[in-house]
Amino acid sequence: MAILECKDLSKRFGKIQALDSINLKIEPGRVVGLLGPNGSGKTTLIKLANGLLTPTSGEILIDGKAPGKETKAIVSYLSDKEYLPEWMSAKQLMDFFTDFYADFDRERAKEMLTRLGIDETMRIKQMSKGTREKVQLILVMSRQAKLYLLDEPIGGVDPATRDYILDTIIRNYNPSAAVVISTHLIADVEQVLDDVIFIQNGHVTLQSSVDEIREEKGKSVDAYFREVFKC
Amino acid sequence: MLGKLLKHEFRATGRTMLPVYGAVVVLAVLANVSIRMLSGNVGPLLSIFFGLIVAAFGICVVAAGVMTLVLMVKRFYTNYLKDEGYLMHTLPVSVHGLVWSKMIVSIVWFAATFAVIGLVLLLTAIIQTDTSLAQFFAGFPSWAEIREGLDQYGIRLGDLWFIGFEALLCVIVGSLFTCLHFYAAMSLGHMFAKDKILLSIVFFVAISFVLSMATTGYSAGRFYSLESMDVTLDTAQEAIRFAKAMLGEMLLVEAVQTAVLYVATVLGLKRGLNLA
Amino acid sequence: MEWVFRNDLPIYSQLVDRIKLGIVSGALPPGARLASVRDLAMEAGVNPNTMQRALQELEREGLVFSQRTAGRFVTEDTAAIDEVKKTLARGQIESFLAGMKELGFDREEIIALLKEDA
Repeated sequence: MAILECKDLSKRFGKIQALDSINLKIEPGRVVGLLGPNGSGKTTLIKLANGLLTPTSGEILIDGKAPGKETKAIVSYLSDKEYLPEWMSAKQLMDFFTDFYADFDRERAKEMLTRLGIDETMRIKQMSKGTREKVQLILVMSRQAKLYLLDEPIGGVDPATRDYILDTIIRNYNPSAAVVISTHLIADVEQVLDDVIFIQNGHVTLQSSVDEIREEKGKSVDAYFREVFKC
Repeated sequence: MLGKLLKHEFRATGRTMLPVYGAVVVLAVLANVSIRMLSGNVGPLLSIFFGLIVAAFGICVVAAGVMTLVLMVKRFYTNYLKDEGYLMHTLPVSVHGLVWSKMIVSIVWFAATFAVIGLVLLLTAIIQTDTSLAQFFAGFPSWAEIREGLDQYGIRLGDLWFIGFEALLCVIVGSLFTCLHFYAAMSLGHMFAKDKILLSIVFFVAISFVLSMATTGYSAGRFYSLESMDVTLDTAQEAIRFAKAMLGEMLLVEAVQTAVLYVATVLGLKRGLNLA
Repeated sequence: MEWVFRNDLPIYSQLVDRIKLGIVSGALPPGARLASVRDLAMEAGVNPNTMQRALQELEREGLVFSQRTAGRFVTEDTAAIDEVKKTLARGQIESFLAGMKELGFDREEIIALLKEDA
């Protein structure tokens, strides 16, 4: 069964149609790139999957269920915002995640913090922007979730961190879990993706595998994307 | 999961409230000393100094009260409606759990602030008048005296307990109402993309207006005069009966308003959440 | 070895070519045990499914075999490896010849040139 499924999913904000009758399925074991220019509806789709927004019409299903308490237990979400409370230390955040998420692997989180040289007792407030983003990523990737929804995880990070993020995604690969990475920086992530979904003005314009695109078009997804979304 | 939300919320708010209480207690002690010094013979400069400490104590007491209220509003706002909302609304907990955890913790702090302020003011009063604790409490009637007095008027102790219980419920529901008045206004105001804070204030005023219209209309019809309620307050028993009924009715009115606000808050968060 | 990928070919087929090159060059000797899919994927910086697909392709071609519990190994069939080596060599020669032809050399001239160089 698909871990994420959209059926005629639409979301409207006042006069703006952010998503228009989206239909798509994401199967477990896939690493999927949600690709589109800024404002195309990527974040709206991810927010709907997390229950942070309610559809205007249609449905979005996580493991067959509408977003709610049960689906939130199996979805690990990295927002593009800095959402960790500033007063908390990395250690307190690990306590928090241990309390709320049965699938949180504390040892793994500790190990990743150590490897990146982040002091557990340091508070978010004291950390640089880059370190905060790393802590968010570590917490999100230390869960054994069924669905990872990563919104712009590599936007604005330095190349070393970007490599670390992609490494973490590969190392964490689990055949029963799907990873969705939303980004507009395709060249950086192309190698780790199985499938791509192109999203444009609230419409899904393409859902295909990376190798299919390369085989059929004889060019990288990045190059193809630039062609499709040429201004 | 409510337990875990409560634990986290106490952790988050304790770091503000406990130092505030600490400051109140320390200033209470200093103020006591200052008042004693002022009653002795001190120079003008020291008088000003001690006077300032007493004033600081007064301000701190008021600030503790205000802080309790501000924290109640601020926690809901920053934790659920700003960026931290991305963390809190993706936890595997229900919206009910989210709302109740904030209300319960706020009410506990209301009670704690009330207790701390009451205690320091009481102690200040006692120490200032040079009364010992024993003397102070000797001023109160004994339990036997109270019983005797009640018997004289034919009032049963059970009735008093009942009224006390009703009053306590009124205070609790009233506190829930206060929290939910802010929560509902904010969660409705934040359903919109722009001017979220302004709209929250508009909703706050609108809720006050609508609820007071509704309840004033009800009360005016119901409690027009003693005659209209068909009560005479000729005997103590009758007064007790009246108080019980009156409190019960107030409680009901308050509970209905609170429930309406609760539903508005939950729906606002569940269906209308629109984090920036 | 740095893993660099071309943009105009599927990533899995480039992985196949890379591993083949390792086998025929002896960097991965006959009978050698391959790292796990995940480790290979990490090393190459690619998705594990893509690496899996490449290895399956190599298995299909008989250059790699898997034992259920022990993992994947390079084939011990040296004749098969030599065959692949020859095929790859032919490919190199063909593209070399094509390049030379564009430069205007005919077969005899190329051979003469090679002898001169050696």
